[in-house]
Amino acid sequence: MIEFRDVHASYGGGLPVLRGVSFTIEDGEFVAFAGTNGAGKSTTMRLINGLLKPDQGEVLLDGTPTTQLKVSETARRVGFLFQNPDSQICCNTVHDELAFGFKAQGLLDDEAEGRIESIASILKLDLSADPFLLNRGSRQLLALASIAVMETPVLVLDEPTTGLDYHECCAVMDLIGQMHEKGATVVMVCHDMEVVADYAERLIVMNAGQVVDSGPTFTVLRNFSTVETASLVPPQIVGISLACARRDPGLAGTPVASANTLDEMVGALEAAAQEGRRSA
Amino acid sequence: MIELKDFSFRYREGSEPVLKDVNLIIPDGSFVGITGAAGSGKSTLTYALNGIIPHCYPGDYYGSVTVNGKDVLETSLIDLSRMVGSVCQDIDSQFVSPAVEDEMLYGLENFGVPREEVEPRIDEALTSMGIADLRDRMIDSLSGGQKQKVAIASILELKPEVLVLDEPTAELDPASSLNVFKLLSRYASEHGTTVVVVEQKIALLAEFASLLVVIDQGKIRYADSPAAVLTHSDELLELGVNCPRSTTLSNRLRRAGLYRGPACRNVAEAADAVMEMLS
Repeated sequence: MIEFRDVHASYGGGLPVLRGVSFTIEDGEFVAFAGTNGAGKSTTMRLINGLLKPDQGEVLLDGTPTTQLKVSETARRVGFLFQNPDSQICCNTVHDELAFGFKAQGLLDDEAEGRIESIASILKLDLSADPFLLNRGSRQLLALASIAVMETPVLVLDEPTTGLDYHECCAVMDLIGQMHEKGATVVMVCHDMEVVADYAERLIVMNAGQVVDSGPTFTVLRNFSTVETASLVPPQIVGISLACARRDPGLAGTPVASANTLDEMVGALEAAAQEGRRSA
Repeated sequence: MIELKDFSFRYREGSEPVLKDVNLIIPDGSFVGITGAAGSGKSTLTYALNGIIPHCYPGDYYGSVTVNGKDVLETSLIDLSRMVGSVCQDIDSQFVSPAVEDEMLYGLENFGVPREEVEPRIDEALTSMGIADLRDRMIDSLSGGQKQKVAIASILELKPEVLVLDEPTAELDPASSLNVFKLLSRYASEHGTTVVVVEQKIALLAEFASLLVVIDQGKIRYADSPAAVLTHSDELLELGVNCPRSTTLSNRLRRAGLYRGPACRNVAEAADAVMEMLS
């Protein structure tokens, strides 16, 4: 469990970046964070993995404040994906990069080697390749693989899909989805609300260093004041559904007015068309 | 007008050509969106327009690229830079000054712009990007979105006939991305500037581009109005280009026999289509 209790944070005592943030994330949840550039999302991620300590308030990992945990203890619980894979990749081969976490913890044994080989083959990564000669999408995938291979109970991901094309984005999100299905708690900052809508169960929205909304993803994305305050762009199907409900208040309560996904919207319109044919 | 005729290019150190037999005509004043999977040749195409290819990156160059009647191969980078303004993918590599005002002065001074024009040009460019208040700031104190706007303003003030931008919104949140496209498109239509923008966010291109170009493995697969290109949502997915969900919705409804109109490019058009279906 991850718990923030009235957390205030800044970099080196400068301008306050977080101003009283509180939330709880239960084990096994998939939670996304959204908000504009500068809202405090990345800072929140850094607090979870203990890279940054709060000025005031507490960040608790399974009940223990991060201030009382050693870096190695936090690292065993929390896998962290930086916004930029180049901030993370530090080895000369893909194999060494994937083995880095195990080595650092003195855990590089046959089982670890097995896991490294298996994840590399799933993601079609060449173990002997030089990470810095890979393209951006593959570097992102490698950075993610190097934390996924550690199978930490918590994954903290800062904009895992930024700058990736569609196929690369799918590869990255599929892997994250699989980790979540295996039981990992996933905490992800993401600007792409289509990705958030497809994967996250809960959405926490931040603005100017504070949490402005938190709840089931679609409930939050359908909240007009949240969307306005945090300048979110809701997923397009939600946008279409809301626009139709605004234009015809008579649609309230119909499947079209509550459709969140492509399948739901197509289904609602097919049903409406059948209904129309029957009454005609 | 920009014209690429049977254009192919292989980087000197590359084994394969990155662009192959590209033919494309970009009329003056177009807002051109270029998209495609990573490594498909999008950035290379922009280098061919602003002259980085062949003047900085040598290689095998076939066919021709002309910008407003001038052959890029025959025109010096200095002359090209007066016609074609470029905003780099990595904006931090573009900045030469620590302060916004100095950055704005750099291009104007190098172009030998008369002293009395300098002030109004800086004013206009900063105002058109909505950042007049940032003039006295240090660049490293700015957010990603603010930096992006400074980078664009520092090129706009040079009044290029063609503006080339490589993923200008990669680091930006959705609201700032939309804002950058709105400001760009307004500036371009007021000044008759041709805009060529490489972008992964297809929803933005669908909304703002007059011509949408999809590149796959160095070849142009589609070059048409966004509505026409987006009709091919399945083929685009295979090329690594995800359509806006509005488009996917209208394409699926067409297949189900519920919709006969053109591919929807955005939420408003899709909402129109849905309302019509329900009426």
